[in-house]
Amino acid sequence: MIVPDSLYGACLLSLIDFFLSIVMITGIGFVLAAFPLMNRLGKLDDETIRKTSH
Amino acid sequence: MLEQVLGFLQAMADQTGIAHFWWGNVVMIAIGCTMILLAIVKKYEPLLLIGIGFACVISNVPGSDLILPGGLFNYAYHGVELLVIPPLIFFGVGAMTDFGPMIAHPKLVVLGAMAHLGIFISLIGAKALGFSLNEAGAIGIIGGADGPMAVFVCVKLAPHLLPQVAVAAYSYMALMPLIQPPVMKLLTSKKERQIRMKQMRPVSRLEKIAFPIVIGIVVNLFFPPVAPLITMLMLGNLFKECLVTDRLYKTAANDLMNVIIIILTVAIGSTMNAEKFLTVKTIEIIVLGLIAFLGGTASGVIGAKVMNLFLKEGEKINPLLGSAGIASVPIAARVAHIVAVKEDRENLLIYHAMGPNLAGVFGTAISGGIMLALLGVK
Repeated sequence: MIVPDSLYGACLLSLIDFFLSIVMITGIGFVLAAFPLMNRLGKLDDETIRKTSH
Repeated sequence: MLEQVLGFLQAMADQTGIAHFWWGNVVMIAIGCTMILLAIVKKYEPLLLIGIGFACVISNVPGSDLILPGGLFNYAYHGVELLVIPPLIFFGVGAMTDFGPMIAHPKLVVLGAMAHLGIFISLIGAKALGFSLNEAGAIGIIGGADGPMAVFVCVKLAPHLLPQVAVAAYSYMALMPLIQPPVMKLLTSKKERQIRMKQMRPVSRLEKIAFPIVIGIVVNLFFPPVAPLITMLMLGNLFKECLVTDRLYKTAANDLMNVIIIILTVAIGSTMNAEKFLTVKTIEIIVLGLIAFLGGTASGVIGAKVMNLFLKEGEKINPLLGSAGIASVPIAARVAHIVAVKEDRENLLIYHAMGPNLAGVFGTAISGGIMLALLGVK
C-alpha cells in the first residue's frame, strides 16, 4: 500500500485521486476536441459500408 | 403414541425453513417486496429492482436451496464474484450506447470527474467510522453510481463487502429519480435550470469508429486495473458503430444484455440474507452510499456552475448537466432532462446530458483505477 491506512491516508488518497481524475478526464476531453481533425482524412458513408457488409 | 407423532412432526418441521425463520427475515422480505412495489407502481428501474427484490425475498426464506452452494442463484453470484458478469454488462452497454454527445461536446467531459467528489466524501467518512482504507475505497466507489464498476473495484479491494456495496450501488442507481432532484433544485436557480443548450455538431462515422479504438488504447495504457471493463464497453460500441456487425451488436445489446441483467439482479438480491445483511456495518455502508450519491450530484452541479464563471454569455451551460456526470447511464441524464423540462417544457436536455453522463462512466473508471494503483492492488 502506497498510502498509509489512516484518516490522513484517506484524505491524501482522496485528494490525489480527485485531482488526477480531473487531469486525466480533461486529457480525454482534449483528445476528443481533436477528433474533428480526423474528418480531413476522408468520409465514411453509412450506406456504402452497409452495402459492402455481409 | 402422541409423543411419537409430535416428535415426528417436530422432526419434519426442523427440515423445513419454518424453524429457522426470525424477524430479520421478515424485515428483508418486506424490503424485497418494497423494491418490487417501487418497480411496478413507480416504475423505478424495473429491470433491476424486480430481480433484486424477488431474489431478496427468496434468499430470506430459510431452506431455499437456490442460494446455497450448487443453487442457481449461488452460481449467478459466483459470476459476479469472479468478475465475469461486470465486463459483460459493460459489453452490452457499449453496444447500446451512442457516444456521439460525448464526442460532440468535449468541454462537458470534465463534469464526468467533477461529479465524483461524493466518492471521496464517503471514503473519508468510512475511514473515520473505522473501516480499513481498502474497505473505505470499496464503499466510496458506490458514489461513482456505476454498478459494474462498483462491483469490480469492491471485489479487488474488499470482497467481503460485496453484498452491501452492490446492493447500495444498484438500489441508489434505481432510486436516483428520488435522490437527485432535491439537491439539483437546492443548488440552482429557476433561471439557471432554464438555460438552453446550443445545438451540437454532427459526429461523423469515422469519429464514431475511431472513438472506441482510441479509448481502448488510452485506457489499457494508463489504467490497466480497470481496463477489462472499459475495453469491453469499447468492443460493444465498436460492434455498433462499424455497421458491419449488426448481428453481433444486436445480440450484445438485446439478448445477451437481458440474460446478464437477469443473472446480475438475482445474484445481488440473493446476497441480501438477513443474517449477513442486517448488521451495523450494512447500515453504515448504506448511509455512506447515500452521502456519496448526494455529494456527487452536488459536486457535479457546483462544477457546472464554476465552469459557467469562465464561459461567455450565450455559451453558458445548464448546471443540471453537472448532475448527469455521476454516471449511471442513462438514468442520471434522464433525471437532468426531467428536472429541466419541468421548468421549461421545450428545453430538451437529454441529448446534452448524455455527454457528461457517458463521461461519468470514464470518470468512475479513472477514479477506481487510480484508487487501485494508490492502494497497490492489481
